[in-house]
Amino acid sequence: MKVVALLDQRRENWRELETLCTRFEGRRRSKVEAETSVHFAALYRGACADLALADAYHLPPNTVNYLHQLVGRAHNQLYRSQGFNVANWFDEIFDRLPRRLYRDGFLRLAFVLFWGFFLASMYLGYASNGFAESVVGEDELRSMEEMHVDSTQGRDMEAGLAMVGYYIWNNAGIGLWCFAFGLFFGVGGIFITISNAVGLGTVFGHMATLSTETDFFNFVTAHGPFELTGIVVMSGAGMRLGFSIVATGGYTRGESLRRAGRESFPTIILGTLLFFGAAVIEGLISPSTLPYWTKALVATASSALLVFYFVLLGQRPGD
Amino acid sequence: MAAENGDTIDTQFEIVTPENIAFQYRLAGPFQRLPAYIIDVLIQVVAVVAGYLGLLLFFGMLRVPFIGVGLGLVLYFAVSWFYTGLFEALWNGQTPGKRLMRLRTISADGQPIGPAQAILRNVLRMADCQPLYLYQVGLWVAACNRRYARLGDLVCGTMVVIEEPQYRSTALVVTEPEALRLAELIPANFRVPRDMALALSSYVLRRRALPWNRRVQIARHLAEPLRMRFGLPPQTSYDMLLCAMYHRVFFASTPGQQAAVTRPVASGEIAVALGVTPFAEGAEVNAPALASAPNVLPTSVGPPSERPAEVVVAS
Repeated sequence: MKVVALLDQRRENWRELETLCTRFEGRRRSKVEAETSVHFAALYRGACADLALADAYHLPPNTVNYLHQLVGRAHNQLYRSQGFNVANWFDEIFDRLPRRLYRDGFLRLAFVLFWGFFLASMYLGYASNGFAESVVGEDELRSMEEMHVDSTQGRDMEAGLAMVGYYIWNNAGIGLWCFAFGLFFGVGGIFITISNAVGLGTVFGHMATLSTETDFFNFVTAHGPFELTGIVVMSGAGMRLGFSIVATGGYTRGESLRRAGRESFPTIILGTLLFFGAAVIEGLISPSTLPYWTKALVATASSALLVFYFVLLGQRPGD
Repeated sequence: MAAENGDTIDTQFEIVTPENIAFQYRLAGPFQRLPAYIIDVLIQVVAVVAGYLGLLLFFGMLRVPFIGVGLGLVLYFAVSWFYTGLFEALWNGQTPGKRLMRLRTISADGQPIGPAQAILRNVLRMADCQPLYLYQVGLWVAACNRRYARLGDLVCGTMVVIEEPQYRSTALVVTEPEALRLAELIPANFRVPRDMALALSSYVLRRRALPWNRRVQIARHLAEPLRMRFGLPPQTSYDMLLCAMYHRVFFASTPGQQAAVTRPVASGEIAVALGVTPFAEGAEVNAPALASAPNVLPTSVGPPSERPAEVVVAS
């Protein structure tokens, strides 16, 4: 049979498959009727067969290219991955994720590193003369001192909301940055965790040495739990990702990395949510003139929430 | 499902489906992705600046401009971290830049990417663009693997492919009278082997992009032995001879019968198969006899000379 005759014969099928592809690409799968799906599958198999026989049929290269593209398109419609499912994600974040994190060695490592260096540099910043200046920098320290002279004297609602936006942009951005840097074989994650811990710890220690009263501790109490946990969670997720290249657990390096990537995604959602929560508290509650016990109450409540999430939800037996 | 590349060209990536068919994607390298990235960055800048000014104006009129500032920063955060990820999640692997440059992100197993993959690979862009947004990390990582995957692609198991321009399902038609005349001189009992048929169609598809002397140079290797074998005169054009062979293999239903030009029925048939490759559009398909719509019935087709010269794209 000559090619032209063959093309004539098959073209109807291809064209119909193309039309169906265009239709499916444009809308949700659930709206496609059963008969159409079955028909689509038949057309797809037909196109597959044509491609398989392209050589034997003497099909010219441009037609073969066309068939490659057509089969690829149809394949993507037929074997489509699952879309976004809210119920699944709720389960993921509140059921599977805490259990995974509870057993996550890298989260523990990030936790220990962060708090270890935080407390150590807090002590150094408090006890050692000149440590804070050399770590954070003189100017930076002075501007922080100034900022916190009256940082809890209240803001109006408008400025508070503006600051919420600022904290979301700045802090959640830093969190995502911590995560992305973990990818450098985990070493990047360790570096970022430690540098954050040292920076923050030193400022904490230094603020305690000041003779003049500042509002620093009053200011940081309320949002501290969410924000510091957010950093730890993000760094831990980044380290896990980075170390998965080295410690593959029997998988190939690429597969190990992909597995860690899949598992890390809900974690960065959790981390971002923690930063959002911290930003709202930091913008609206921390700078307010509310008495200190309310802020302590907020800190206690958010700590309790975190314990509930990471420990109580986490320690349930895994599946 | 992704197969090893084997002996294919290294910018093609082969996927084997459950139907045991292998189809190929063309991978996009770093320098095909760069223009798309630049377009996306420009769009992000414009979106943030315009959004910020709009918010300032709106909340300024409500006498609370600082809320506008705050929302503007949230917008900045969302756009700078999630613009590409959200677009790829919603537009099936494309951002505006990728759509303009005809690129698409897909899974390494050939499936469309999911929202988690889309967002994660773009959050990890922060690692790829180090140092200082010069993308050295991403570039070197991409150079070291077969899929041109940067770190974000490796983690998410994705790759960026080139969307083929719309190939047509039809074959290219030879219209040169010289070639058609030569086609009649080819002995009827000459059987064209399969690989020669492939070489012929590859040549005919590409010859229009080649200058005359290059055509002669390439065509000679096959055309010279054929000319000797058929006993054609030495001044026979190599180029035309290969076109004639192509015509014989793909079009002429019986040797010696000039189906394409003489009969209206055949001219309809040929026009279906018309000029429809990326190389062919508009070129050399202006023979009046071939200019009829694919589905025109033979009875409605007038004599060839009465119809205007036009290119019919059969789809």
